[in-house]
Amino acid sequence: MAHIPDGVLSAPVLIGGAALAATGLALGLARLDERDIPKTAILAAVFFVVSLFAVPVGPSSVHLLLGGLIGIVLGVRAFPAIFVGLLLQAVLFGFGGLTSLGVDVVDMAAPGVIFAALARPILERAAPATAGAVAALVGAFSVAGTAAAMATALALSAADYLPSLKIVVLTQAPLALVEAVITGFVVAYLARVKPEALGRLPTAEAAS
Amino acid sequence: MTLRRPLLAAPLAVAFLLAATPALAHRLKLFLATEGGEIAGRAYFVGGGRPEGVDVVFKDAAGVEVHHERTDAQGEFRWRPPAPAAWTVVVNAGDGHFVEESLAADRFGGEAATAPVVAASIAPAKTPDAGSTPACAALPGDFDARVARSVDDALARRLRPLMEAQDQAEARIRFNDVMGGVGMIVGLAGVGLWATSRRRRRSDEAPRP
Repeated sequence: MAHIPDGVLSAPVLIGGAALAATGLALGLARLDERDIPKTAILAAVFFVVSLFAVPVGPSSVHLLLGGLIGIVLGVRAFPAIFVGLLLQAVLFGFGGLTSLGVDVVDMAAPGVIFAALARPILERAAPATAGAVAALVGAFSVAGTAAAMATALALSAADYLPSLKIVVLTQAPLALVEAVITGFVVAYLARVKPEALGRLPTAEAAS
Repeated sequence: MTLRRPLLAAPLAVAFLLAATPALAHRLKLFLATEGGEIAGRAYFVGGGRPEGVDVVFKDAAGVEVHHERTDAQGEFRWRPPAPAAWTVVVNAGDGHFVEESLAADRFGGEAATAPVVAASIAPAKTPDAGSTPACAALPGDFDARVARSVDDALARRLRPLMEAQDQAEARIRFNDVMGGVGMIVGLAGVGLWATSRRRRRSDEAPRP
């Protein structure tokens, strides 16, 4: 459900989404310096690959988004990473439409960026285990945020989309759980091995 | 320059892992066929799962909604249109999944040429309209049309599994395409690095007399 195809959303929603995505992209690109390019590209590639493959859950199927993890590691640079991933998915596989690309980018990038920014003070200082736990929450909330943003975009476009949103929430709950576990483990690992990836000062043992 | 080799390997590892499993991507698709003047369709998610009890809208060539139908537990539906013509079928799962497919008039085979068929019966033994003519007498006037219709129906029935398989094969995520996308991202990163290094070199050179 994370890739909204062409022809579903109304024009004001599409334009609004495109404007927000362009703002996010501009902010992200402005803060993308030489050292950030490799990790941005790596996470864009991970996002591109991982969100292609879906597992059936109930009447629909879901795929990983990793919005929380990308938001934590990249901050606002998540916008260019997710934009590239989604653009390639749309062009190569017809996942999501090109007109709805803006809305899709905002839906998938914004929750992760926002929740990660809120959690950043804790992530920068806490012990690896705590950082992992907080990151797990960021991962789960990002999925919920993506589902909520998607639901809002659909509801703003046409009122009769609302009934089946119950299904969306039911299928997204297991996904939130899985993303929480993945994000938690990856961040706890990064906090120990590569703390500067999280904006932390390298510890003595990691720096050596 | 912190190019993390283990992290770079991550997307590749994930791609290899997923390519080995039959997992497919996730998108609503619609397969349409005509059977004896009926439109028979099946909506399915490429990743698995069928949209159940979902609204199916039939539109005519002018885009006017003519008929509504609901999918069954298998995501299937069928409807007999009033006339063999160009129809557009829209399936909207309501959660952002949406698919639209068109059916050209000639997909109805020989029937497109004949008048609207009320009940295209394939069994010629029980055709009361031919009852007035003795069994071994001259062939009924619409014999050719009937043969054409039966052949079309039989062909449609036989070809349907093949067309469905082709439809699903087209939607399959191919490993090469995924690798192409990853390569594109690596290339973009290269372009970005090149651009930033040029910018830095120029700003390094500028202060020098």
